[in-house]
Amino acid sequence: MTGGEILGVTAVGVLAGLDLVSVPQAMTARPLVAAFAGGWLMGHPAVGLLVGVILELFALETLPVGAARYPDWGPPAVATGALVAERAGTTVAAGIWPVLLVAVLVAALAASVGTWSMHLVRHANGAAIRRYADRLERGDPKALIALQAGGFVRDSGRSAALTLLTLLPGGVVIRLLSESWRAPAVVAEGIVLSVALGAGVCSAWRLLGRGATARWLCAGLVAGCVGVLLWA
Amino acid sequence: MTWRGAPGFAVTAARLFAVQSAWSYERMLGIGFGHAIEPLLRPLRAQGGARYAEALARQSRFFNAHPFVASIAVGAAARAELDGEAPERIERLRAALCGPLGALGDRLIWAGWLPACVGVGLLLVAVGAGGWGVAAFFALFNVVRVGLLVWGLHAGWRAGMRVAGALANPFLQRGLEVVGPLAALAVGAALPAVLVWVVRGAGMGVAWSVAWPPLIAAVAGAAVFAAAAHRIGTRLTALSVAILVLGVVVAGGELWP
Repeated sequence: MTGGEILGVTAVGVLAGLDLVSVPQAMTARPLVAAFAGGWLMGHPAVGLLVGVILELFALETLPVGAARYPDWGPPAVATGALVAERAGTTVAAGIWPVLLVAVLVAALAASVGTWSMHLVRHANGAAIRRYADRLERGDPKALIALQAGGFVRDSGRSAALTLLTLLPGGVVIRLLSESWRAPAVVAEGIVLSVALGAGVCSAWRLLGRGATARWLCAGLVAGCVGVLLWA
Repeated sequence: MTWRGAPGFAVTAARLFAVQSAWSYERMLGIGFGHAIEPLLRPLRAQGGARYAEALARQSRFFNAHPFVASIAVGAAARAELDGEAPERIERLRAALCGPLGALGDRLIWAGWLPACVGVGLLLVAVGAGGWGVAAFFALFNVVRVGLLVWGLHAGWRAGMRVAGALANPFLQRGLEVVGPLAALAVGAALPAVLVWVVRGAGMGVAWSVAWPPLIAAVAGAAVFAAAAHRIGTRLTALSVAILVLGVVVAGGELWP
């Protein structure tokens, strides 16, 4: 990956990281969008889309609810979308599965680091607010602007760090482990699909498997299976 | 005061997109709330700087609600300040809105509209829409996100202290009834479709492996994983279990004879 590409991917990672909580919560932080953007930046949007779909199944239960701690999938998804797209090159074949397996693991670990990093930013925001407490009690609008800008800058830094963490050390890990992968590619394919789908089903059940919506979820699954059988 | 005459409406609406920029455990959305409401409070400057400063200080204190419907509270609180309501009443209004607006947004957006849009997006990708599926997800979600923000600001401003009536809006109530089943249906239908889309080459025109064996293996593996993750869900999230499983498999793949 060239310096320009790293810069471009990091910039998009920052936008995705900011989107999760700070601004504008338009859901570009969802892996479906973020990984697609990462793949598109590297000239392989279809590969980015595959990474996005797989990661979205893991992220299904990630809802940015208030004070809850949740993984930040945006920057890792942008970075892994770009990394897998780079590894895929122009020929997509069975060999992509070990890359995808390691990339999903790296993205999941980075998303977990994102949880912790957001917690730090929130504490830093709290410390800044305490410093401005007197001005806030005097109703100073400039204090509000300074605090909002400070929060924005802190979250931008956090998102850039998370993108670079996934892109650089994560990229090395993906390259080394996927190149030394010795099991058949179908093993990697089966595991990625099983774990992603399992996580998706588990998340969907936790999120929607209560009361009347549980029946609609089952109806959707049946409809999807029927559709797939007719289609296949 | 008419809605059309509301000063700073566009700036407040724009600032509401960043209502969580300075989110902290102490004040939660408070700073973003104060920052967003400030343009609507500017007419108070003409009545003396003290009223403006007092109002701004009050509106920057603790506030917690769903960020997409915080606009309702911003509109209502701004109207109450401009109408000269007693400070205690305005503080009670803000405190009273936290719970209902949090619950409304969580049910309507996080547990409803977001998963519904994700389901539709995944389904569209799986049937071959490619990047258009992503675009559809983005557009669908944001039509409601922006619409809710603007409607909320408008409804809050019109209602002022009587904002509880805005929450009983029939359209909103109908939305709450419909969005859960819609999300469940969309996500449910998307899961098998996505599985087959991936096994058939993820729209890249390449059959990566024999279709049926990995399909059956993946479904069986997914069932085992989902059951295990659900069973130990109180201690670990599905993500933690996934990291554990993927880590073991990566190590196994490296040590494969």
